[in-house]
Amino acid sequence: MKTKKFVSALLASAVALSLVAGCGGGDKKKPDEKKPAAAAGAVKVGVFLPLTGDNAAGGELELRGIKLANKLHPEINGKKIELVIADNKSDKAESANVVARLIEKDKVKVILGSYGSSLSMAAGNIVKDSKVPAIGTSCTNPQVTKGNEYYFRACFIDPFQGTVMANYAFKKGAKKVAIVQEVSNDYSVGLAKFFKEAFEKLAGPGSVVDIANYQTGDKDFTAQLTNLKAKNPDAIFAPGNFTESALLVKQARQLGIKVPFMGGDTWETQDFVNVGGKDVDGVAFSSAFDSTKAATPEAKAFLDAYAKEYKGEQPGGLTALAYDSYLIALNAMKAAGVEDSKNIRDAIASTKDLETTTGKTTLNADGDPIKSAVIKTVKDGKFTYIDMVNPGDLKVK
Amino acid sequence: MNHNKRNIMLTLAALVVLFGLACFVQAEVDSYIRRIVNLCLIYAIIGLSMNVTNGFAGQFSLGQAGFMAIGAYMVGIFTVPVELRADVFYAIPMNPHLVNVYMPLWMALILGGVLAAGIAGLIGTPVLRLRGDYLAIATLGFSEIIRIIITNATSITNGALGIKNIPPLNDVRYIFLATAISYVLITLLLNSSYGRAFKAIREDEIAAEAMGINLFYHKNLAFMVSAFFAGIGGGLYGALLGTVDPKNFLFTLTYNFLLIIVLGGMGSVTGSMFGAIIVTAGLEYLRVFDEPLELMGVAIPLFRPGLRMVVFSILLMICVLFWRHGIMGTNELTWEKIIHFVKHPLAGFRKKGVQGK
Repeated sequence: MKTKKFVSALLASAVALSLVAGCGGGDKKKPDEKKPAAAAGAVKVGVFLPLTGDNAAGGELELRGIKLANKLHPEINGKKIELVIADNKSDKAESANVVARLIEKDKVKVILGSYGSSLSMAAGNIVKDSKVPAIGTSCTNPQVTKGNEYYFRACFIDPFQGTVMANYAFKKGAKKVAIVQEVSNDYSVGLAKFFKEAFEKLAGPGSVVDIANYQTGDKDFTAQLTNLKAKNPDAIFAPGNFTESALLVKQARQLGIKVPFMGGDTWETQDFVNVGGKDVDGVAFSSAFDSTKAATPEAKAFLDAYAKEYKGEQPGGLTALAYDSYLIALNAMKAAGVEDSKNIRDAIASTKDLETTTGKTTLNADGDPIKSAVIKTVKDGKFTYIDMVNPGDLKVK
Repeated sequence: MNHNKRNIMLTLAALVVLFGLACFVQAEVDSYIRRIVNLCLIYAIIGLSMNVTNGFAGQFSLGQAGFMAIGAYMVGIFTVPVELRADVFYAIPMNPHLVNVYMPLWMALILGGVLAAGIAGLIGTPVLRLRGDYLAIATLGFSEIIRIIITNATSITNGALGIKNIPPLNDVRYIFLATAISYVLITLLLNSSYGRAFKAIREDEIAAEAMGINLFYHKNLAFMVSAFFAGIGGGLYGALLGTVDPKNFLFTLTYNFLLIIVLGGMGSVTGSMFGAIIVTAGLEYLRVFDEPLELMGVAIPLFRPGLRMVVFSILLMICVLFWRHGIMGTNELTWEKIIHFVKHPLAGFRKKGVQGK
C-alpha cells in the first residue's frame, strides 16, 4: 500500500510539474505578447518542419537555412522578425494540427514549410481557410500549390525537373531511354512521368523502351536491371531515394550496364556517394543550387554565413531553398506591410525577379517558381557543376 | 424506475448534453482546438474498434492501419468533386469507370466500413487460426499488403502521389455524431451474448469452446466489426486532413491505437475513450516542451523539438509500470460508480475495509 501511495504522490508531482512547465511556457509568452504593444511588435513568422521522425534529417537542414536567413535579415521595416518553429513529427495529422496552432494561437502572418509534399498538403486546407499564406520549402508535388491560392513554394516542381532531364538526355544524343521509378515515392513517380512525356515528344513515340518499378527500401534490383539490359537503352533515368538509387547504379555496373544514369535532386547528398562509391561517378542529375558558384550576391552572403556557422560543411539545395522561402516572405512583407495576411499573400503572388540564392525567382500563376536548374555530376566523389538549364531554353515544356 | 432504465435515460441525457457541447465548440472555439477535439473523437472510434478484437475477444491483431487505409481511400476516391479530379490524377488519369462516380461523405464512410469488414472477413478466415504473436505478425503483414496494393493501383488511388481536394471536414458535430453512434453500437454489441462470448474466448479459449461457443465464428465477427469501425474512423481521418496518401498508413500508425487501448485499458470501452483523449490532447498539451525556454535570460538547450516526446514517453512508462492494466483495466465507468462518487466523494480515499461497510 505504501508503495502505491508513494507512486501516486510521484505521479501527482509529475503531473504538477508538467502543469508548472505548461504555465511556465504561458508566463514566458506573456512578456512577448506585451512587447508588441511596447515596441510596436515583433513580426511572427511560423515555421513547420519535420524535426523529429522519418524526415528529421531533411527538416533539420531546412531549419538551418531559415535560421540563417533570419540571422542575416532579422528586421523588416524596423520591426524584428520572430520565428515560431514547430515540429510536425513527419506526420500528416500532426502537420495539420501544428499549422492550425501557428495560425490560431501564435497568430503568425506567414508560414514557411514544409519538407515533404504530403506534410504540406495536409496543411493546405487550413492556410486556405484562414487566409494565411504559406511558402513551401521543398515540397515538389504539383498538387501542393495547384488550386490553392494561399500556398506557394521556393523549389521547382516535379514536372519541371523531369522535363529538364528529358531535354538534357536528348541534347546529349540519347535516342532511347529506360526509366526506373521508385513506385512508392510520389517524387520519383512524378519525375518519371514528366520525363517520359517530354522525351517522347522529343525523340518520338516508343523512345522510352522500358519502365521498371521498385519499392522504397528494396535492396536488390537485378531482376529489373536484367530486363532493362536486354532492351539496350542509351541512358537510364532513375529518380528516387538516394540509398536505393546508389545501390541501383552499383548493381547495374556489376551487371555490365555501362550507359549513363540520370536522376533528380535527391541524389545530392553525401550518402549517395558513400553508398555508391566509384560506381556513381559520371551520373547526371538536376539540382536547384550550386554551392561552388554563387549565382547572386545574396547567394554569396548565404555561402559565407553558412561557412561561418557550420564549419567545413557545404550547404545543400534544401538549405538554400529554405533560405529562399524566407527571402520570398520577407520581400512580400516589405511591399505589403506586416499587418494583413491577405495583402502579404498578394505580394507573394506577384514576386518577380527576386534575387535569391538559386538565381532570380519569379512565381507563376500556380505559385510555383520559374527558375533555372543546374545539372550536376559526381566526379571523384564530389558534386560538380556541368550545365545550366534556363526555363526558356527547353525545347519541350 | 429500475436501474437499467435509469442508466439508459442518463446515457441519452449525457449524449444530448455532449452534443450540445459539440455544437458550442463548433460555434465558439478556434479551428485549432476544433481540430484537436475532432482528432480525439476519431482516434476514440479507432481505439474502440481495436479494443473489440484486442481487448474483448483477446486476439492480438495489428491490422488497424490497413483497415483505416481502406476507409480513408473510399472517402478519397468518391468524395472528391468530379471537376477537381483531373487536377488530382495529373500523372495517370483516373479509371474511366470511377471518374464520374461521386458519393456524399456518409455514404463513402459506410462503404469504406463495409469494404474493410468484407476484406477482414476474407482474411480472417485463414489468419484467425493463429494465436498470439503469430496472429499479430500475420495481421501486420496484411495491413502492409493493403498499403502496397494502394500504392500500385495508380488509376484508382493515384498511387504514391496521394489524393488531395477531399472536401475538408472540420465539423465537431458531424464527427461527434459518428463517434456517439459507434460508441453506442459497440457497447450494445459488447453487452449482448456476442460480447459475453468474446470475453469468454479472451479468458480461456478451450473452456469457451467447451461451453458451446463457436470460436471461429465469434473471432471472425469481432475481427469484422473491428475492421468496420476502423474503416469509418479512417474515412473520417482522411476527411479531416483533406488528403490521403499511402505513406500515411504505415504500420507504425497502428501503434498509436495500440498505445491508446493499452493506456486506456484493454477491454474497457470507456477506457479507450479516455486513452484517445489523453494521448491526443496530452501530446498537444506537452508541445510547450518543444518551444525554446529562457530561464533568467539563459536559453535552456534541452527545450528543443522532440523533448515533448521524451516527456510523454516517460509519463507513459510510469503509467504502464504502475497501472499494468491501463487506466480503467477491464472496468467501465458506469453510472453506478459516478452516482456513488457524487454521493460519497471521499469514499475512494478511505481504507478498503471501511468502504465495504
